[in-house]
Amino acid sequence: MAPDLIDFDAPPIPQPSWKSRVNYSRADAGPIRETCDRDSELMLRVRDGDQGSFELLLEKHRGPMIHFLYRMVQNDAVAEELSQEVFLRVYKSRGNYEPSAKFTTWLFRIGTHLALNWIRDGRNEKSQTSLDKETPDGAARQVPDRRRTVEQELLYQAKLREVRQAIQSLPLKQRAAVMMHKYEEMEYAQIAGVIGCSESAVKSLIFRAYEALRGRLAHMA
Amino acid sequence: MKCPLEFDPSAELIVAYGARTLDPDAAAAFERHLDSCATCCKVAAAQKAVWDALDEWPGIPVSTDFDRRLFRKIQAARQRTWWWRALVPLTACLALASMLLLRNPQASPQPIPQIEQVQHALDDMDLLSQLGTAN
Repeated sequence: MAPDLIDFDAPPIPQPSWKSRVNYSRADAGPIRETCDRDSELMLRVRDGDQGSFELLLEKHRGPMIHFLYRMVQNDAVAEELSQEVFLRVYKSRGNYEPSAKFTTWLFRIGTHLALNWIRDGRNEKSQTSLDKETPDGAARQVPDRRRTVEQELLYQAKLREVRQAIQSLPLKQRAAVMMHKYEEMEYAQIAGVIGCSESAVKSLIFRAYEALRGRLAHMA
Repeated sequence: MKCPLEFDPSAELIVAYGARTLDPDAAAAFERHLDSCATCCKVAAAQKAVWDALDEWPGIPVSTDFDRRLFRKIQAARQRTWWWRALVPLTACLALASMLLLRNPQASPQPIPQIEQVQHALDDMDLLSQLGTAN
């Protein structure tokens, strides 16, 4: 059966019903859910002209956004530029903001859109080259950990490069979905809101992505 | 516990277990199952390896001038907005004036030649033709 066609809610779930016991809310795992309402309130204040609220939102979300975009495009300078564009668009759109979804859903929708466009435009070829050559960004950019020996550092960099290449080999939507699931600790429903597809489609994307990653990275255990 | 891979080939439970988002009871039940299921054990180990490998990938530090550059762009956007706001009504006025002129070309009449000038020109032409005949 194709993963997209799996409907987890349709058949009777065998006992014990582990599915109902999966903690999808991650209420204690991630900061996003706890603060989403406050973020929307802050954005409403931005809409009303409160510059300080925009600075608070920026302070809170610029790090996660840069990290997300960096892992998507695998180029630190581009990730920063795209992040700037994300927050610039947030600011420009403040007048039309309506809290119909979580603020982070809206924010990451903008970020994902920009990243996917950047990658689709073929502007990632330079970053691909730099990835292969281990020059300015990415693996070579990681600051060496002085607690590691030279050999350990080399092994670490090789491992990191393998992880980056495994992620880069994923189809774009799978890549985005996994990044949000793994690093932003988003629920499936929220990822669906960001990508603009159904929750079951997101589950399918994520599980296919992890399946591919297991094939490439399982030997690291 | 029935093998989750039998009814869930996508391994949702195993992904949740690897992400440590299963509640303690479900996690304990799955761990008991792992003792007797080599397939799940293999997939769970691989998923854990993926999870740990992804944990090794750090983010990047934010540039110290990130906010300054952003606010400069916001300021530039504001100024552009101001210019646009001024430019739009100005352009509209110019367009309106152009349309009025095109619809009513009489609004800016061409200068009418004076009768005396015409008379002089006719006299000059007569003189020239007389000279031509004489020669």
